Amino acid sequence: MIALPIAGAILLLFIRDDEHNEALIRKIALVVSVLVFAETLLLWSRFNASSADFQFIERHAWIPDFGISYFVGVDGISLLLLVLTGFLTPLALLGSWESIHKHTRAFCMFVLVLESAMMGVFVSLDLFLFYVFWDAMLIPMYFLIGIWGYDRRIYAAVKFMLYTMAGSVLMLLAILGLALLHNTNTPSGGYSFDLLQLYGMPIPARLQFWFFLAFALAFAIKVPLFPFHTWLPDAHVEAPTAGSVILAGVLLKMGTYGLVRFAFPLFPLAAAYFATALATLAVIGIVYGALVAMVQPDLKKLVAYSSVSHLGFVVLGIAAMNTQGVQGAVYQMLSHGVSTGGLFLIVGMLSDRRHTRLIAEYGGLKKVMPHLVAVFLIVTLASIGLPGLNGFVGEFLILLGAFRWNPRMAVFAATGVVLSATYMLWMFQRVNYGEVTDENNARLVDLTPREWAVIVPVVAISVLMGVLPNLFLRPIEPSVQRMVNQVQQSAPVRIQAGGRRTRNLQLGMKNSELVPNSESIPNSKFPIHN
Amino acid sequence: MLSSFNAIVPMACVTAAGIAAMTAEAFREPGEEMPIGPLGVIGLVGAAVASGLLWNAKATSFDVVVADNFGLFVTWVLIIVGLLSLAISAPTVERERLPRGEYYALMLFAVAGMMLMATASDLLVIFLALEVLSLAVYVLTGIRRDLPAATEAAFKYFLLGAFSSAFFLYGIAFTYGVTGSTRLDRIGRVIAAQAMAPTPVQFLALGLLLVGFAFKVSAVPFHMWTPDAYQGAPPAVTGFMSTGVKAAAFAAFVRVFLAAFEPLRSDWAPVIWVVAAATMILGTVVGVAQSNIKRMLAYSSIAHGGYLLLALVSANDVAKGAVLFYLLTYAITNLGAFGIIAMLDNADRPNDRVSDYAGLWSDHPTLAALMTIFLLSLGGFPPMAGFIAKWYVFSAAMKAGYYWLAIVGVLTSVISVFFYLRIIVMMYMTASSEMPVRFPEVPRIAGAALVVSAILVFYLGILPARVLAWAAASISTIF
Repeated sequence: MIALPIAGAILLLFIRDDEHNEALIRKIALVVSVLVFAETLLLWSRFNASSADFQFIERHAWIPDFGISYFVGVDGISLLLLVLTGFLTPLALLGSWESIHKHTRAFCMFVLVLESAMMGVFVSLDLFLFYVFWDAMLIPMYFLIGIWGYDRRIYAAVKFMLYTMAGSVLMLLAILGLALLHNTNTPSGGYSFDLLQLYGMPIPARLQFWFFLAFALAFAIKVPLFPFHTWLPDAHVEAPTAGSVILAGVLLKMGTYGLVRFAFPLFPLAAAYFATALATLAVIGIVYGALVAMVQPDLKKLVAYSSVSHLGFVVLGIAAMNTQGVQGAVYQMLSHGVSTGGLFLIVGMLSDRRHTRLIAEYGGLKKVMPHLVAVFLIVTLASIGLPGLNGFVGEFLILLGAFRWNPRMAVFAATGVVLSATYMLWMFQRVNYGEVTDENNARLVDLTPREWAVIVPVVAISVLMGVLPNLFLRPIEPSVQRMVNQVQQSAPVRIQAGGRRTRNLQLGMKNSELVPNSESIPNSKFPIHN
Repeated sequence: MLSSFNAIVPMACVTAAGIAAMTAEAFREPGEEMPIGPLGVIGLVGAAVASGLLWNAKATSFDVVVADNFGLFVTWVLIIVGLLSLAISAPTVERERLPRGEYYALMLFAVAGMMLMATASDLLVIFLALEVLSLAVYVLTGIRRDLPAATEAAFKYFLLGAFSSAFFLYGIAFTYGVTGSTRLDRIGRVIAAQAMAPTPVQFLALGLLLVGFAFKVSAVPFHMWTPDAYQGAPPAVTGFMSTGVKAAAFAAFVRVFLAAFEPLRSDWAPVIWVVAAATMILGTVVGVAQSNIKRMLAYSSIAHGGYLLLALVSANDVAKGAVLFYLLTYAITNLGAFGIIAMLDNADRPNDRVSDYAGLWSDHPTLAALMTIFLLSLGGFPPMAGFIAKWYVFSAAMKAGYYWLAIVGVLTSVISVFFYLRIIVMMYMTASSEMPVRFPEVPRIAGAALVVSAILVFYLGILPARVLAWAAASISTIF
């Protein structure tokens, strides 16, 4: 599955890149990406939804001297993210069918390579392999933004690259530290980058603290969590449509996926320690993103800030670390991928027609393009979280989980829901209702058959995810359950608090008494080494 | 009796090829074509075969040259450096009408000197080798006599290099005074015996040797000559010296410091710690400000020297393998990058400003793609070789407990990505404003060499296990 897009990209390398072959190149890329999507669906159909274990495991020795292996597998959390990746990539290709005309071959190659790397990130169960995919993914994205983007693309591309790099190199050191720790701290010894082995390894609390910070920084930049979000609007705005769709749809999810898969289960003590801080940043992000989105004159920027806000919900759900919260977070990842992907596709269609993304340039589009506006409405409502569409389920579960954990957080976060309705609907109204103010807008054509093909799947999935959430929640649940148990068992402080944190613990957060705290707890699976 | 020559067979092959090249040049009719380059290739391939036969044999010659696996691994790196340098030199030699025989002969003598340096087990022989390679490289730096910049570069390099040689020789003298020997194993034994109470003279000897090595690997604060020399030399020579000299010098550095002076490690490690940190920081930070691509890569090569020092100071089993693997990947990658610069070097203009690379993608998509691969590998991106090399170095540092040094290392490597990206931005994202045909044709051999290097970069990045195992096996023989 990882190999197929790469194979496609290599195939494209052998086709001459000229006017003549442009259509052929696009078609090959599209066929390859559709095949990958079919493959992910096949995986889903063969996936045993009642099991929490990793399935379809493949393991080959890679660098045996250091315990590094090519070790991949899928559980409920990664399965649907794979399907999402498979779903969005063909749409992204199809969505930029007409807007990309220079260097089509390279464009398609980069998209396919990117797809491979993204799949790799989601299936890696070896930390080294994960890091390789995580970093390798930056290169095609960098080129996508830098070559095919808008005016300030170079600035945006370099900023994207450096921000993400800066976060992830420290994670690399933490990964190395983990592997070395496995050498000294376990009976079997030897370096290991194997996630499942590392899950079971006791890590001294003080090291957890540093490792968690390193991991969390990398993921927080990727999400992006509040103070680290400044690369996102630039990258989103300057990226071509396909870039924005993949960036918003899949790349941002890697940050939250990383928190769920690595940061929290590996370092449960530190995670408990930092949960409130993370959640606070997430809530600030929710409100701040929404407020900033409200005043954006640029459609893409508005959607970008709305992503900051929506991803805040996801982090909040993860920080709550109970089944509802995490399940909601995973669901929200999928749903945000679909609806924000859809929004970027529609903004792409608009800017293909008018070559502007400023809200003020539009107005009264409903009279000119009724079909486009209709799907726009559905996607907008889905993004707001209207019941019956996909956004609702995730946000609801997250708020539920957050409320059980820390009601105050949930209350603040809920204002984000209201705000998101405000800025989205206001934007929608300014773009689509009223009189046609600009005569350039009067002759715009409605959806073409290609665009129908792009947008109908998005709408269909939105509705499906809203009406039949269980279809998607069922495979997620066991894995989430297992992961939550794993975190809470190792961090018994959280269980004793019984879902609601005690006053005592909250004070403990402030003067960093967590380490002695957990030492005093009997039956802790967690030996303290310092 | 004859078997005592075994260990020096590889460098003898290369030296013979060098002499053959000179002879051929001397007896050449004016205008007559002679395959002088291929002579060098034959010599290098012969050396590669000879070192293959010596693998695991641990041959020694006259007690001063030891062909252990460590030395042989570096020898192979040097052979690769030599082959690639010969391949990318051809167009430069052709275009600039450089004296062909001298050019190739000097290059081969330099390779022979490097090999000797990598396998020498006696301080005096190391010094001898250092001089053999340095003199050849000084001349190569200034081989474009009509260019003032080249002459200046050669002169600077020569003066500072002569200084550093003097330091080094002084260090040897003091070492002899303290230990009564110039042979590394004996020095090691004597120092180990006195390690409880080291004398000031020991530190003096250590310090002087350190200065000598720091010059050759262009570590801060002895890096001043590097940017000028790298800029003034023809790009093929720059590639050659930035990789070959570094590999040979590091091999000897490792031998002297991790074998002979190992007992004094707690004394020299803090010094090298500071030097490594300063080298990484200065190399990357100053590199950001460069507008000439050769100067930029000169600072990048200083920074890479810093990463190697990081491995050296870590001094554990991981670190020693890391030095070898890093030297190999750095050699291939950096030569590749300088190879591209050499391809774009015109007779009438050097095309070595960063802005000259604008729009290279449209004119020469293959060259641009190759350059991207090399630069990303230098920046340490997976799945290129540079990533594995850096990862290896950082794991050594983490294992040795040098967390802060590792953090400095990763952060500087992020900064370095910034300037590698500048070149990529130019190639891919900036339209070229110049006239259409700016770049000469790429000759077939040089092009093939670059493609092979790129494939090697991917090979070492994706399937490094075998080479890592070799590197790990090589270090077990001397420590």
